[in-house]
Amino acid sequence: MTTTTEPRTDRSTRPGLDVAERARLESAFRVPRTRFLIGLPIAVLLLIWSFNGAQFNFVKLGEGAINMGEFLSRLFPPDFSKIGTILALLLETFQMAVVGTVLGAVLSLIVAFGATSTLAPKWLYYPTRWVMNIIRSVPDLVFALMFVSAVGLGPFAGILAMTLGSIGSIGKIFAEAMEQVDRGPVVAMEAVGASKRQVIQYGVLPQAAPLLTSYTLLLFEGNVRGATILGLVGAGGIGLELTTAMRMYDYGHLSAIIICIIVLVTAIDQGSALIRRRIT
Amino acid sequence: MTSVAAERPSSRRSALRPAAGKASAATPSVAERVQRDEGRTPTAEVRQALPLVTVRGLQVAYGETTVLDGVDLDLFPGEMVALLGASGSGKSTLMRSLTGFAPIAAGSVRVAGHDVTNLVRGELRTLRSEVGQVFQQFNLIPRLSVMTNVLTGALHGAGPINLAGGFSSAHRRRALELLDRVGIAHKASAPARSLSGGQQQRVAIARALMQQPKVILADEPVASLDPKLAGSVLELLREIATQDGIPVLVSLHVLPLALAHSDRIVGLRHGEMLVSGMTSRLDAAALSPLYNDEEQDDDDDH
Repeated sequence: MTTTTEPRTDRSTRPGLDVAERARLESAFRVPRTRFLIGLPIAVLLLIWSFNGAQFNFVKLGEGAINMGEFLSRLFPPDFSKIGTILALLLETFQMAVVGTVLGAVLSLIVAFGATSTLAPKWLYYPTRWVMNIIRSVPDLVFALMFVSAVGLGPFAGILAMTLGSIGSIGKIFAEAMEQVDRGPVVAMEAVGASKRQVIQYGVLPQAAPLLTSYTLLLFEGNVRGATILGLVGAGGIGLELTTAMRMYDYGHLSAIIICIIVLVTAIDQGSALIRRRIT
Repeated sequence: MTSVAAERPSSRRSALRPAAGKASAATPSVAERVQRDEGRTPTAEVRQALPLVTVRGLQVAYGETTVLDGVDLDLFPGEMVALLGASGSGKSTLMRSLTGFAPIAAGSVRVAGHDVTNLVRGELRTLRSEVGQVFQQFNLIPRLSVMTNVLTGALHGAGPINLAGGFSSAHRRRALELLDRVGIAHKASAPARSLSGGQQQRVAIARALMQQPKVILADEPVASLDPKLAGSVLELLREIATQDGIPVLVSLHVLPLALAHSDRIVGLRHGEMLVSGMTSRLDAAALSPLYNDEEQDDDDDH
């Protein structure tokens, strides 16, 4: 005992392994657990019920394949005659996404502190979470309509809608990223007598930074795609041009727009993948 | 004894040699204490000084569970005290109670002139800034540089806006000097996570020194290190205790390490102080009661 270094274990209180449980663990063939036998049919039933409810119909899908092919064939050849307009609008979409992402990320971070259970007091934590849930439940398109009626048609309304929408989505993810940091550095910062702000600045943010950056890039990608939708209600970006082309049956123009969006989104995706590799 | 500790000058350096000036006032109580328990103080020189930490009859309870029951402890300038005990004996809780991280149910705790049981508003952070802490898992900020990690030791009392680059050049010079001292200066710009365990613990010690601590608490500082590194880290802590005159309380669960690297040993069992004495007068046999209650428990059961 004199030189023993291993930690003490309470042999006296250690419970033994049940004989039946031991036999079950040793056996190569396992009878599935009851919870699995009951759970599987329930899951299958839920799936069938949902397929029915959503009116998913394989037959219709097969019949419709011909029409779908016809629709797609009308998109060719793409008509790049109005490429100038497309690029200008695409640029506007990009700019909206940049501003919307920066504002959204900054505001989300501020709100996220209130929604981080390890940092915020309870009286702040719950209301912040509720507000986030409400914002997340409302579609961005509704926010866009609201801001269009408030500040008029144009990209400004779109940016405001993006910013507000991101608090609900990215704010929650930011909060969870900050909750998951290792407690060690936080304890160390408390132990040197750091203030709450300093604990967050040194103990929490540096650890959460890779995740926060990664999610911000994701938000940016989402905002570029989102900006194309917001145009539907006149909140700026390329969406309005897209809708107009559809309504006018200008399929050549429509496909040119879609191709340009695909190129932009792919470029952004590649770019953010590059950044993400660097920071992690 | 508590009143004597309260008279201790609050300036850091004067704490190192208060004996000359304070001798007449302090002599009776110190002599009294030495008579009562000679084993507690290692050298004549240290006996002259006043304790920087005074714990009397400390009780700590989490709900119904009493973790510490009637612990007395003095830490004098310049000594390295090993805190021994099995898992769950209350070592960590004793450490935590010294910096206001544990609920003190009864008793008195004075650390560096602060009454821990009765801290006024804002005093808690000041107390913590004056006590350097070293942890088992080093607790460095993994992505920040070694240099920045050391600088965080000076966070208390730093300006209102102090972004990562905002430490003064005096702070930075001192951080580099401390890195020289612990032998990691060549890694100053590297991220902390790129260092080995032993190196990280040295950085953590530099961070603690950056606080200009009056006391250093090290909770299982070598439990994550291999034996050779463990010895060198403990030697570094002991050197700091001797050279800077800072008391170092280090909790360990390995007996030989405690016997080799401490001036004094305090042993806890089930939250009670079982052993307290100079390391030179103790051996493995004297300390075995700290651990061997296990067999007795087993015998009782069968």
